[in-house]
Amino acid sequence: MNAIDGTDRHIKTDEAPPPSLLAIVLDTNPHAWAHLSSTLPLSSAIANLLVFINAHLASGNANEVAVIASHTHRAAWLYPIPQSTTLPTSQNGTSNGDMETNGAPTEPSVPENPNKYRPFAIIEKAILSNFAKLLDTTKESDLASTPTTLVGGALSLALSYIAKSTLLHSPVDPLATDNPLSALADSETMHAQRTPLTSRVLVISVSGDLANQYIPVMNAIFAAQRRRIPIDILKLAGDTVLLQQACDATGGIYMKPERPEGLLQYLMMGFLPDATARRSLVMPSAGGVDFRAACFCHRKVVDIGYVCSVCLSIFCTPNLPDNLCLTCGSYLSLAQAQTATPAVIPRQRKKKKKRVGGTDSATPGGSTPAGSGTPVHT
Amino acid sequence: MSEASTQYKKQDGKLFLSLDGKTVSWKPNNASISSVTILVSEIANLQQTPEKSAKVSIKFVVQKPSTSEPENHTFTFTSPSARAEQLAITGSLRKSIEIFKAQNAAKVASPADNSGGQPAALAIAQSLSTGARAEENPLSDSRLLANGDLQRSLLSSDPALSQRFNQAFREKPDSISIIQFAAQFWATRVHLLRSHAVEKQQSQGTYNVLSEVKPKNVDGTTKLNLSKEQIQLIFNQHPLVKMVYNENVPQLSEMDFWARFFVSRLFKKLKGEKVTETDSIDPKLDKYLNFDDDADRTRQLTMSTVPHFIDLEGNEQNHSQRRGNRPDVEMQPNSHEKVPILRVLNQMSEKMMADVPPSDVDLHTPAGMDEEKYKELQLRDLQRAAEDSRIILKIQNQGQLFSAEQGVHSSSDASTYAKRTPAQVISLIRHDVRSISAGKSKTHEFNLESGIGVVEEESSSDEDTGAKKRARVGSRSARTAATAQIINAVGQRHLHDDDYLSSRDTATSEQAAKMGLSKTVFDTLAMTHNTAVEFLHYFWAVFLSGNADRAGELEHLVGTLSRSIDRVQAVADSAEKERKAKMEKLKKDYEILAQKGKRRKFDPNSIKGGAKAVNTMMSPLVRAIDTAQQHYRKAYQAQSGQITN
Repeated sequence: MNAIDGTDRHIKTDEAPPPSLLAIVLDTNPHAWAHLSSTLPLSSAIANLLVFINAHLASGNANEVAVIASHTHRAAWLYPIPQSTTLPTSQNGTSNGDMETNGAPTEPSVPENPNKYRPFAIIEKAILSNFAKLLDTTKESDLASTPTTLVGGALSLALSYIAKSTLLHSPVDPLATDNPLSALADSETMHAQRTPLTSRVLVISVSGDLANQYIPVMNAIFAAQRRRIPIDILKLAGDTVLLQQACDATGGIYMKPERPEGLLQYLMMGFLPDATARRSLVMPSAGGVDFRAACFCHRKVVDIGYVCSVCLSIFCTPNLPDNLCLTCGSYLSLAQAQTATPAVIPRQRKKKKKRVGGTDSATPGGSTPAGSGTPVHT
Repeated sequence: MSEASTQYKKQDGKLFLSLDGKTVSWKPNNASISSVTILVSEIANLQQTPEKSAKVSIKFVVQKPSTSEPENHTFTFTSPSARAEQLAITGSLRKSIEIFKAQNAAKVASPADNSGGQPAALAIAQSLSTGARAEENPLSDSRLLANGDLQRSLLSSDPALSQRFNQAFREKPDSISIIQFAAQFWATRVHLLRSHAVEKQQSQGTYNVLSEVKPKNVDGTTKLNLSKEQIQLIFNQHPLVKMVYNENVPQLSEMDFWARFFVSRLFKKLKGEKVTETDSIDPKLDKYLNFDDDADRTRQLTMSTVPHFIDLEGNEQNHSQRRGNRPDVEMQPNSHEKVPILRVLNQMSEKMMADVPPSDVDLHTPAGMDEEKYKELQLRDLQRAAEDSRIILKIQNQGQLFSAEQGVHSSSDASTYAKRTPAQVISLIRHDVRSISAGKSKTHEFNLESGIGVVEEESSSDEDTGAKKRARVGSRSARTAATAQIINAVGQRHLHDDDYLSSRDTATSEQAAKMGLSKTVFDTLAMTHNTAVEFLHYFWAVFLSGNADRAGELEHLVGTLSRSIDRVQAVADSAEKERKAKMEKLKKDYEILAQKGKRRKFDPNSIKGGAKAVNTMMSPLVRAIDTAQQHYRKAYQAQSGQITN
C-alpha cells in the first residue's frame, strides 16, 4: 500500500531532549545571610545566581526557570509573579517566549540595554524588585520569632509549579485520572510516556534547624520522589540532617561548599546539567548520608526512635501519654519495644538472682531508656 | 407436658422426653416412617430459633461415641402454641442434660485420680496434635531453625556462606556452644533457609519419554540407549507397552523386544506419528495396534465435582454441535489417523499433570460447595474499579502540640545569630541588597560581571593580593578550590558507582587494585570484616537481651571483639609490608633509571595501599567495635558498683 500511495507514513518523533524547568528555592533567611555577609554577601550570591539562571536558560531554547524565596515568615515568589486572578489572561504565559506578559505585569518598564539579552533582563529585573519588596515587608518581629526558614512551604510551591507546568506542556492529560487502571500500572506508564518537560528543584540553603519542618519537608521529598523530580541542595551554611535525605531520596546532588566564595563555580559545575544530561554524567556526591529522622514529639534528631504502626510517626521516647499515638490517636503501647537493661555481671547464686535482677531494671545503664519497668525477656 | 407435635424431615410427628429423662424420641404420625431416639447423654449441643422468629424449631447436635462426625436433628414445632411447647421441652431437656453431666464428671474424675494412665495418653495425644500443627507449616521460622539437615545442605550449596560460617565458628569464644552459635548464626538468615527449603522441595516432573528416546545411527547400525528409569517411565506412561512387554518378553529377549518396539508401528502410534504403508510390519507387535493405551484414563477422569468452567453438561443449551455444527477436528472421536500428534500430546500432558499436586486447588473447588470462591474468579478486571476501602487516618493538628518548642532559644544557630539584633540584621541585608540597585542606577543596568566578581583587573595580581585581602567572592583561588572539591566529589562517586555496578565475585581483584592492595590481603580483609560483623551481631543480641545468665557469654564476646581489632591490625601490617616491598622495588628501578641518566624523582606517596588503605576501609568497623566495647564497659562499671555497695 505504501508503495502505491507514495506518502511517507513514518511518524516523526522529537529526538531533541525535552525542555527543562529549573525551580530554585533561595533561602533568604536574613539571620543566616547577615552571618555570612563577611564571606559571601547576599548581593553577590544573587548576582551569581542570576548568572547561573542565565546559563540555564541559554542552554536550551525552551528552558524555564522559577525562583522562590523561602523567607523567615513566608515563602514568596520572586519569578514568575503569580498573576492576579481578576485578570482573565491566558495560561500560556509560562513558556519562555512570553515572558513579557509574565514577569512584567507589576513593572512594565524593563530598561532597554543593547548589551543584555532581553529575556535575561526581564528575569533579573523581576527577581531583584520582588526581592527588594520582600525585604521591605519584613518586620523585625518576623525575624525575632524564628531563626530558621520556611523551606517546606517553598518546596511545596516549587513542586506545585512544576506539576502545573508539566500539565501545560503535555498535549493530553498524562495523569488520566478517571482511568482506574492508571493507578495500577503507574510505574509502567510513567516509564513509557514521552517526557514533555524535565524538572528539577535546586535549594540554596543557608539555615539550619530544619528539623522543625521535618514533616512538611519529608512530604515534599516523597512527592518529588514520586514525580521523579530530583532535588539538588547547595548548603552554604547550617546543619545538614534533613536536606541530605532529600537529595538521596530523589536522586539529586548534595553539595556543601568548603569555599562559599566560589559559589558560581559550584553552581555551574555541579548543578547546571539537567536530568537528561545527568544520565550520561557522573555527578558529584557527598558520600555518606545522614539518614536520621527527627522525632514528631520534640523535633529532635534521633538515632533510635519508636514508630507508630498506623501512621508511621516517629517518637523519641517510648512513654507516650495514655499509650496513644500523638499524631493519629491510635493505641500504641511501646513498652514491648524497650530493650532490656543489659546484664553484664554473671549471677552468683540462685538467691541473689532476684535482687540483682531487681536492681538491674532501675539502672540507667547503657543506652537504654531509663525509668523502664521490668526488663522484657525475649 | 413433655410432648409436642413437631415436624422432622417434613414429616409430622410427636416429640417426647422420656420420664427418666434419659432419651428424647420422636414418633411419626405415619407409621411407615421410622422413629428417632436420641440419648440425652449424647447431646453435644442444643440450638433453638430466636424467640422473635415466626418459625419455632429445635436442633440437636448429637455426638455418638461410635462416629466421629456429629449428627444433626432438627424438629419444627407445628402446634399453635409452638413457642410455649418448645420452651417446655428445652427446659426439661436442659435439666436432664445437666444432671447427666454432673454424674458423668464425677465418673470421669475418679478413674483419672486412680490410674493416671489417661493423662499420659492425653499428653501423648496433645503432643501428637501439636506436632501435626507444626507440620502444617514446614516453613515456619522455628522449624527452619531446628532443621539441621537443611542448614547443612544450604551451607554445602553456598560456598561463600559456608566459608563465613566456618570462619566465625573457628574464632568463636569457647564458652559459646555450637548450638548457641548456630542458632545465632541462622537467626538472621532465616530467609535464606526458607528459600533453600522451597528450592529443595521443587523437583523435576516426568517428561514424554518416547519422544526423548532416539535411536542413534553409529557405524551403519542403529544404537539405542535406554536407561532403567526410562523403561520404568515408559511403563508408567503407556500401560499398553507394559502389557505387551509382559506378554512377549519371556519369548523374546529383552534386547530384542526393545529393538523391535522402537521401529514398530505401535511405537509410532504411541508417539503420535502417522503410520504409513512403508513402515515395517511386525506380526507380534502389530496386533496391539488397536488396543487402547488409555486403560488408566478413568483414574484421571474421576473428579468429585466438575467446576463450572469445564462443565460441558452445564453448557448443553449453548452447545453448537447440537445445532448441526461439526465438532472441532481435535474434539472428534476416531481422528487418530488424521492428527494423532495432537491427541497424543494432550494425553501425555494429562498423564504427566495427573501426578503433579495441583497448585491451584483453591481455584478449582467445586462450584456447588463454595460459590464464593467461584465468584472470586469472575473477570473482575473488566469491571469498574471497586470503591476504596481504606482506613481513615485521623491526623491531629501537630502545630498545636509543638509550637511551644519552636523559637529562637531552641536553635543551634541561635547563638551565632544572637550577636546581631533583628534590627541590625534587617538594615544590613537591606543595605546589601540596595547596593545592587545602587550599582544599577549609574548605568541603568545591573552589571552582572562585576557582580559576580570574576572581572579581574589583572589576573596575576589576584594571587598576590589574595593573601593580604580576605578571599573575595569569585576570586580565582575560591573558584579553584570549588573546582577541586567538585572534581574530588565526582571521583568519589565514580569509585562508588563502580563497586555498585560490578558484580561482587569478579570485582574483588579490581577493587583491591584500586585500593592498592593485593588480592590475598583484600580477601583476608573481607573475611575478617565478615566475622567481626557476625560477632557484633551476636554481641548486641546478648547484650540487649538483659539476661544475666548470659553475662559470661557476653564477657567472652567482648574479648572476641577486641581480638577482631587485632586481626584487622594484622591485615594492616601485612598490607604495609606489601607496600614497603613494592616501594623498595620501585626505588631500585628508579636507581637503575638514574644510572642510565634518566632522572625521575621518587614519590613515596604515589604508591597506594598499605596500612593506611586498610585502616580507612576498616574505620567504620573499628568504630562499631569501639562503641560496643564502650557500652559494655559502661554497663559493667555501673553494675559492679552496685553489687559492691
